[in-house]
Amino acid sequence: MMDNLEKLIQEKINRDLQAKTRRHFIKNCASGLGGLALGSIFMGCDPLGVPKKRSNITFSERDLNPLATLPPHFGPKVKSVIYLHMAGAPSQLEMFDYKPKLHELHGQDCPQSLLEGRKFAFIKGTPKLMGPQAEFAQEGESGNWVSNFLPHFKKVIDEVAFLKAVHTDQFNHGPAQLLMHTGSARLGRPSIGAWATYGLGSENQNLPGFVVLTSGGNTPDAGKSVWGSGFLPSVYQGVQCRSKGDPVLYIEDPDGISRNLKKSTIDAINKINKEEYRKYADPEILARINQYEMAYRMQIAVPEIMDINNEPENIKQMYGVEPGKESFGNNCLLARKLVEDGVRFVQLFDWGWDTHGNIREGSIDMGLRNKCTQIDRPITALILDLKQRGLLDETLIVWGGEFGRTPMQENRGNKEMQYKGRDHHGDAFTMWMAGGGIKKGASHGQTDEIGFSGIEGRVSVHDVHATILHLLGFNHEQFTFDFQGRPYRLTDIEGELIKEILA
Amino acid sequence: MDVLKQLLGRLHPLLVHLPIGFIILGLLLQWYDRKKAEYVKVIPLIYFWAGISAVLACITGYLQYLGEGYTFDTVKLHLWSGIATALFSFLMYAKTKELKTVDFLTKIPLLALSIVFFILISVTGHQGGNITHGEDYLIEPLPNSIKSALGFETYEEKEIVLNDENWQDAMLYEDVIKPIINNKCLSCHSPKKSKGDLLLHSEEGILQGGENGEIIVQENPGESQLFSRLVLPKDDEDHMPPKDKTQPSKEEIKLIETWVANGNPFDKSIGELALPKELFLSFFPKKLDDDHPPIEIIAASQDSIKKIEQMGVHVDLISKASNFLNVSCINKPSFSNSDFKTLIPIGEQIARLDLGGTQVTDSIFSKLAMLPNLTILKLDNTSVTGQGISLLESQEHLKSINLTSSKFEGQYLQVFSNFKKLKKVHLYKTNVDANGVQSLNDGQILIDYGNYQLPAIASDSIVY
Repeated sequence: MMDNLEKLIQEKINRDLQAKTRRHFIKNCASGLGGLALGSIFMGCDPLGVPKKRSNITFSERDLNPLATLPPHFGPKVKSVIYLHMAGAPSQLEMFDYKPKLHELHGQDCPQSLLEGRKFAFIKGTPKLMGPQAEFAQEGESGNWVSNFLPHFKKVIDEVAFLKAVHTDQFNHGPAQLLMHTGSARLGRPSIGAWATYGLGSENQNLPGFVVLTSGGNTPDAGKSVWGSGFLPSVYQGVQCRSKGDPVLYIEDPDGISRNLKKSTIDAINKINKEEYRKYADPEILARINQYEMAYRMQIAVPEIMDINNEPENIKQMYGVEPGKESFGNNCLLARKLVEDGVRFVQLFDWGWDTHGNIREGSIDMGLRNKCTQIDRPITALILDLKQRGLLDETLIVWGGEFGRTPMQENRGNKEMQYKGRDHHGDAFTMWMAGGGIKKGASHGQTDEIGFSGIEGRVSVHDVHATILHLLGFNHEQFTFDFQGRPYRLTDIEGELIKEILA
Repeated sequence: MDVLKQLLGRLHPLLVHLPIGFIILGLLLQWYDRKKAEYVKVIPLIYFWAGISAVLACITGYLQYLGEGYTFDTVKLHLWSGIATALFSFLMYAKTKELKTVDFLTKIPLLALSIVFFILISVTGHQGGNITHGEDYLIEPLPNSIKSALGFETYEEKEIVLNDENWQDAMLYEDVIKPIINNKCLSCHSPKKSKGDLLLHSEEGILQGGENGEIIVQENPGESQLFSRLVLPKDDEDHMPPKDKTQPSKEEIKLIETWVANGNPFDKSIGELALPKELFLSFFPKKLDDDHPPIEIIAASQDSIKKIEQMGVHVDLISKASNFLNVSCINKPSFSNSDFKTLIPIGEQIARLDLGGTQVTDSIFSKLAMLPNLTILKLDNTSVTGQGISLLESQEHLKSINLTSSKFEGQYLQVFSNFKKLKKVHLYKTNVDANGVQSLNDGQILIDYGNYQLPAIASDSIVY
């Protein structure tokens, strides 16, 4: 007990020290060093050598249990978020943003006015416009557009609110993914899920508050920073689970090791860690101690929740799961199970959406269509399954990529390419949200007649973040963390609530 | 030399307090000493010091006027009355010292001189204050009603009050545009400040424009600076309001645009202009749809919460904005009917109760009826059949009940139509054999039976 208190005191002091900046140092130089000199002249002893009383340090429950729940600013509309990220950037022009005019202009040179002063990842010279490679129809009572690449999704289209003119200032995957998930194109900021778990904690003691699931054979280009904790304590980072094999690596006890032995091993490791902490007072050691304990509890809870075999046949069929494999369908079913068990933020990354037209898998008319088939049924099932369990009202689903794709066909190296592809494009792309607090069937924003830029209802990545935080009960302008001498927000100095899609 | 001038000048606001102090002290002492005359020798000395310090104040004041770039017009009254105060101090010195050399003074009563002196120092001080803090400094904190009663012009921070009934009758300028301008523009563009010679407090001012000419081009918002400057990038020097000031919202900007596009009418109602309702929706009162009743209650005692948490039941505030609680048994699957009694001390605060996956049975309903503010109830994955659920009929706030994967029986279905505020019931995987969403009480209550299907379609298995 004493140990605990001591280490927490140290941690507090350490945190305070970390908050000191160069400015504080310089400021203190005048009074501090001068005072030190004067002190020794006048008193003949060092008054600063006397240890200060630390009795005024108090600890909140949060200091002792970093995932303890905290109330948000105002009544939240949702308790959990499932964020579906299509890594590589899906083409809005083949899925949701119908541009008949682009169809008419198919094969014509792209007007120079659109190309001047623009940077593209691969497009060179004057590319040709490429009409939509999918067929579109208005579906549901809302009459929102959706393509034949998503034949199941059209059944839930009235549950969804579209953002048709999202824009980003990044046109390469890594920075754009970072911006989309941390609010900054550079490394070092916490991800949305880390912010959410930091701000709200998590109700279930046996599961992490923030779980990440990946599919498509690769992790996002930006690496694990897209679910990192940035400058927040690392206990808030996303915990990556796998839908194939052990959900968490080495979660099973090794052969011949009993659970009791495991427990005493962890206790011993934690004891050593505590010693280490006493020496170096690094709060990250505390996070590690905490994670060992959480991992021990997770050993029971996680295999159970990550096992989709126990789900009834009709549910498995609905999601189109492939037990034993890594698939987006499995991850969607897992996402539902995790949210059902009180996990705050579930982040799904599906890789393989980068359709440049350089290879068959990366072609707009074939590769993209296959990717759409892979997500179509699982996403539709996820929405319907959450709905029938009464969870859709308290869960927010966000769908999107890191940017969109050009209305022009990609001409890498200024040559015609083997397959039909589109280049990276951040000026206008589509995202959608569904669930609690969302205006069902809404569609906000509009792009020009070829889908190049937003002409109405343009929203930024920061606006999307502000809206997600709002639905969780946060005023994004007041939800801050002090770092390097100033308060930081997920939206930093930007972001405006997208009221048009709120119920 | 300039540095010295400026430095001394800046001492003026400090030095002025010396003569003020001396003069007030002298006047007070004069009054205090009026009968006994014990301090007659001190009082002239005080006025002498007052005179000396007033001269110093005058010199530094003059230097400040030169150094800080005030116009003579701004300071002239203060300057002359300051000099007058200095001279008057010596006059009071002479009077109280009863110097024979200035004999005209003997004819004027001391009281009259004192009163004049008091008025003089007050006026001088006030003028000085006005120069540094602005003329409205003192009245600024007063409520608008008092300000206007005192004869000061006020630009009320008027709220836009629109609702479903009145929005078409509201006057577009008076009730919508004017409040936006009042709240976001007038702090710089009113007779008080009139930056860029632009006055936006009145019809005439808006039509007249500012130093760059007119700000409205009829029916052309793009060319009208009243609108076009609002949509410039925030970093643009011409962006209005300046980026460190409160910005109008998207909706407000849109309304300014609409007003200009419609010929900036000052006397037309929204209905007359046939404007779409969507433009105004964000100013309608918000429909609150929280997970708790729209009332205020006292906070639950921390001791009772602690006790409940020790049992393994999760308790937290729904939000910082209210005292209502969310109680969840997510970490306590062994929770049973008999455990309910521990929740009673916080019964009034419980708005959201999650008993999903616990051991509770039908007899829980009689206990749940004791929670007056229950809004969201989750009884999923329990063995309740619904017997006794009618006890919850009288609940004033109960909005949603989740009974998925419970043993709920169809015979209790009709009970729901007697509920007062109920909106949603989830009955997926219960003993009621039904699919999809059905409604009760003319759509007031939605019952979701789930069992949604996604039949296979041919394209599911096509790989291109």
